[in-house]
Amino acid sequence: MILDDMEEWLYGCTHCGTCHDVQRIWVPSCPAGERFGFESYFAGGQVHIARGVHEEILSLADDDIRDRIYSCTGCLSCQLQCGIYHRDHIFEIVQALRREAVTQGFLNPAYMVMIDNLKRDDNVFGKSKSERGDWARDLRVKNAAQETVDVLYHAGCMLSLEPELWEVPRSVISIMQAAGVNVGIMGKEENCCGGRPYEIGYEGEFAKYAEHSIQTFTSIGVSKVITSCSDGYATFKNLYPQVNIKMKFEVLHVAEYLDQLINGGKIILTKEVPMKVTYHDPCHLGRHMGEAGVYDLPRDILNSISGIELVEMPRNRENSWCCGAGAGVSQSNPEFALWTANERLEEAKATGATAIVTSCPWCERNFKDAANEYGIDIEIYDIAQIAQKAI
Amino acid sequence: MLEAAIKSGLVKELGEIVGSEFVSTSKADLYMYSQDMTYAEPSWPDIVVLPKSAEEVQAIIRLANKDKIPVTPYLGGGNIGGLTIPLEGGISLDLKRMNRIIEVNETDMYAIVECGVTLGDMKGYLDKNHPKLIYSYAFSPPSTGVVTNALVQGLATFAYRYGTTADWISGLEVILPEGDLVRIGSCAVSKGWQSLAPLPELAGLFVGWQGTTGIITKMAVNLWPRPKFAAGLIFYLMDLESSYEFLRAISRTRIPDDVTGDSYALREISRLSMEHKKGSLYPALILGPDEPEFRVSMDISANTENELKAKVKVVEEMIKGELKGVKLFVSHASPTAREADYQRDPMQQNSWDGKEVHPQVGDRQAFIPMQAVFVLSSGGGLYWVGTYGPMSNWLEAAKEGCALEDKYNITRSLYTRLHAEGHYVAQRWMLPYNKKDPEMVERVKALSLEISDMAFKYGYIPYKTPVWEIRRLEERASPEWLELHRKVKKMLDPNNILNPGRWGAPQK
Repeated sequence: MILDDMEEWLYGCTHCGTCHDVQRIWVPSCPAGERFGFESYFAGGQVHIARGVHEEILSLADDDIRDRIYSCTGCLSCQLQCGIYHRDHIFEIVQALRREAVTQGFLNPAYMVMIDNLKRDDNVFGKSKSERGDWARDLRVKNAAQETVDVLYHAGCMLSLEPELWEVPRSVISIMQAAGVNVGIMGKEENCCGGRPYEIGYEGEFAKYAEHSIQTFTSIGVSKVITSCSDGYATFKNLYPQVNIKMKFEVLHVAEYLDQLINGGKIILTKEVPMKVTYHDPCHLGRHMGEAGVYDLPRDILNSISGIELVEMPRNRENSWCCGAGAGVSQSNPEFALWTANERLEEAKATGATAIVTSCPWCERNFKDAANEYGIDIEIYDIAQIAQKAI
Repeated sequence: MLEAAIKSGLVKELGEIVGSEFVSTSKADLYMYSQDMTYAEPSWPDIVVLPKSAEEVQAIIRLANKDKIPVTPYLGGGNIGGLTIPLEGGISLDLKRMNRIIEVNETDMYAIVECGVTLGDMKGYLDKNHPKLIYSYAFSPPSTGVVTNALVQGLATFAYRYGTTADWISGLEVILPEGDLVRIGSCAVSKGWQSLAPLPELAGLFVGWQGTTGIITKMAVNLWPRPKFAAGLIFYLMDLESSYEFLRAISRTRIPDDVTGDSYALREISRLSMEHKKGSLYPALILGPDEPEFRVSMDISANTENELKAKVKVVEEMIKGELKGVKLFVSHASPTAREADYQRDPMQQNSWDGKEVHPQVGDRQAFIPMQAVFVLSSGGGLYWVGTYGPMSNWLEAAKEGCALEDKYNITRSLYTRLHAEGHYVAQRWMLPYNKKDPEMVERVKALSLEISDMAFKYGYIPYKTPVWEIRRLEERASPEWLELHRKVKKMLDPNNILNPGRWGAPQK
């Protein structure tokens, strides 16, 4: 059993409940626990479920058990709030349960569709692979598969295939071109990074995409891979080393790269952008990166733009509330994903901001859907869109 | 276990009361409510229900009473006594959705809270909305319930001044086992929730009863002004005799807000836990000859800086005078080092340099003591023998308890807290353990049983009493006490539906 390898961590949790709240400000920390209420949905519940499965008191054949483990958005807030020695392994335990479920053949129908989509079109949405580069059709951006470039922009599944979000990658390319960067994209040759299948328990699919991406990026000889997708960024940085293939390129999130361009004088943010905004820290750009969490740079960019007034939500930086879309939840339980996003939008509205800015298309997509579903009047932007307004 | 047909009908009716999404018969949920961090035997509920209001609780209780279904109230489950394990199955009533702070009365200094409000909720709410008022926080995680901790007479940071958390209850709203709603205290006859006096004392029908006589849906608790000046004093005593002399003398000063003490040998597990590492009390940490046996911490507060200095001066003069013979560890650390991180060298915290007492200035009253993590860092298990008893027997109990821990090769782990200006004192033997290690589980079980017997001998009575300790207490009680107890339970809960098998009604 996969959980055998986790035994040391399964018995760390006393079910003390500390993970329920953001420490020091004492507001909810766990989307699933907060939404559903039963103890089994909180981190302590997940760890105890793993213990129960390991001791064969509980079974992954039970639909309710799998419902609990697939309700975790993988936001890692519990890991920050918990003080006990197993804290860094809580989501690993959830993922081990998911892998175990897949191994035992207990598959979630929503994820079966996702995996079929991946196998067919190398993206999780079931859209044709041939559409993947459409967002850049009129941009005159280099095809990195055919031309030599220094920097590869990896748009990721969400930004490539959701036309409503195409302004984000287009803004990034526009900024890079204005800065004179020799940038290219893979277009229809771009693949899923593999992060989403990893988080839902399909380790084999992840390994396939990781190996392919590393080999591709290496073979085209780019020095830098830039992405707007925080999930993709965390996958490249945290998960790719697992496949033990040397990565001969540097991975940067757009927020990091924009900061380099600004500080290097390659772009100058001159235009006034009169907006009161709040910033949402994506889980994968923050907590998933541990001490390397990217919290300051997006704020630095916003603060460097004339006219922007940045106000903070109570749950910010390491304590950010999840957008709700993570770890496959937006596919398996969209109602819950939107509920979680709405909680965040309400928190953003309460600051008096008229816009919420983030650095992840999964967050942006979920926020937009929640704003529609719940009738929340707030503008939603990616950091690159705001930067583009200022150039 | 309920019969399937009964269960099915009950689930439907409960769903009509609270909404079907807040009723669960899923094994995933039942498992969570069947156990806690202690070694208490698991026992599964049949159904878990999450009500949102007193009206919903009332309807659930009426339904359960009609069909004689056991109901066990639950909030965090962290009581270290197995108190929320449903001994006879039935309904686990998880009260966490009832988490409103209904009113904070600034002038009369009380808060009315629902039964699901946690210490974290209270702290967050007061800091944000009423920063001049504070509550008193238990040595427990922030998920601990304000109401539940008061009901089980838990201890908190104003213990020295005011006693247990039950002593600062000023009003109750209770759903009785047959479904009636009753208010207790001044709120029964007026709009105010400021006190239980001057009415016949009915709160005693519910406080300390572990949810066996009613479900508390609202409680008013005292709040206090945030002190303008506050400081902490920390002393290390070289032996238990000195510790006793020190505690006894300090208890008579009427100066501190809180006085606690703990075995110095806990320093290693404490250090490991603060570094997010696993720690174990086994094998016992043996102290060196120059290391102290016990640490005493004192919180003091004042309205002015001069008042604070004067209070420190009283302690200082006591050490130089009445306590001249006690063996106090003398710190030679610089003032900066004294303020340094406790984990690096705990004894540097020592306030006493042989000449003067050096307070650590800061608001220590209004925080949640996160250092509690060390009792949670050994592998999912925690049991303790927690008792209240007379100061007069503190030394004998402490020495025998330490000897028992030595016998079991367990690190000395005594925690103590003075209550009600020294009129009684808590002694707690904290035993975190690895649930996966059967030998350690048996060691902790055997040790805790021996400590419990020892504690009884010196008049130290277990609080948050596990069911097996209840039965042992009943054996020591007079037949008249036992009969009265059973009568009260029978009068309030004729069908024995509330948390059955504990106080007032042994398991069949």
